[in-house]
Amino acid sequence: MASKVLLFGASLALLAAPVAAEPDLTGSWERYPLPGETPDPRWAPGPIPDPPLKPEYKAPWEENQAKLRSRLAESQPAGDNYVQCIPDGMPAMMQGMFPMEIFQRPEQVNITQEAFNQTRRVYMGETLPKWDEVDPMFYGRSVGRWEGDTLVIETIGIKEHVQFRWAPHSEEMKITERLTLLAPNILRNEIKIEDPYLAEPWTYSYTYRRMPGYKLLEYVCEDNRDYVDENGQHRLRLQGE
Amino acid sequence: MNGFKGIGSPRLLGMLLGVAAVSATPALAHHSFAMFDNTRSITIHGKVTTYQWTNPHGYLEIDAEQAGGETRHYTLEMTSINMLSRGGWTSRTVKAGDEVTAIVAPLRDGRDGGLLLELVLPSGKHMLPGVPNAQNYKRTP
Repeated sequence: MASKVLLFGASLALLAAPVAAEPDLTGSWERYPLPGETPDPRWAPGPIPDPPLKPEYKAPWEENQAKLRSRLAESQPAGDNYVQCIPDGMPAMMQGMFPMEIFQRPEQVNITQEAFNQTRRVYMGETLPKWDEVDPMFYGRSVGRWEGDTLVIETIGIKEHVQFRWAPHSEEMKITERLTLLAPNILRNEIKIEDPYLAEPWTYSYTYRRMPGYKLLEYVCEDNRDYVDENGQHRLRLQGE
Repeated sequence: MNGFKGIGSPRLLGMLLGVAAVSATPALAHHSFAMFDNTRSITIHGKVTTYQWTNPHGYLEIDAEQAGGETRHYTLEMTSINMLSRGGWTSRTVKAGDEVTAIVAPLRDGRDGGLLLELVLPSGKHMLPGVPNAQNYKRTP
């Protein structure tokens, strides 16, 4: 009896204890630093390492990297997907070219990248399915939980052709993100990618800065006149063509 | 909630201090993917026939004046309207019939079109469309 009373008292005390509120990430965010901006070293994300691919996947990836570097040097679209109006998907959309919105509720967090209206939905407290229990998609299936002040998101179910930096992956790829406020307006996303194609997890981070008052714009690929021709050349359809 | 606080700051600090300069990428011989010629620019003057506020790109159609009174039609690609919007453009910045001057990175394939680098409005105002890495597009007379 005494122990029951004690237990009851303890639960009352728990109820009465101030609940440490999870940080509210709701709002608009932009990549930090912006292109050309000199970042505060406290917040700057480190360089993204090459994916630690197993040897059999490394050589073809390196060939593609030469192509990618030349495109970037010419300020060309990094991937054919942009030319074809195909969105980034995960995890590339977490550093999309336009601002991003986080909409946070206790049971669900939505993250929208303005470019291509990409929205992913994170279901809080749900169990992550196994990779072969979901159909592979662009944003996959995401579940979330709070670890202290850190929002941990696990994602599974990404199509093999939805790639970041052209790194090949299997349908078993799992992405774990740890989102933490470094300052009230600075958000860090530590990303870990695990996949049988990788010799070890691929980890890197992004930083975002709040954009107070910014309202995301819509983005519909309404008239795409760009295309890649049969020779792999980026072309423009002129009026009347 | 439990009493966890912080985010393992010593490790985080280590990561932040670990920022290194990104090595310069080597110049590679390659087949260019670029459809616009960034080694030169052309300047055209004429009447706008269409100003199209769409994604993934806005478009400006211009009947450009030629020597001898002829006109030639140019299709100019702009950046995403989201970029234009953040750069101070609206769907009403230009309209059909406006006489404008456009600085353009021309199409490599020689057809009459290109990427808009700068636009001079009838009011004389210069508008930049926010081309990513605009410094990589050479302006030539």
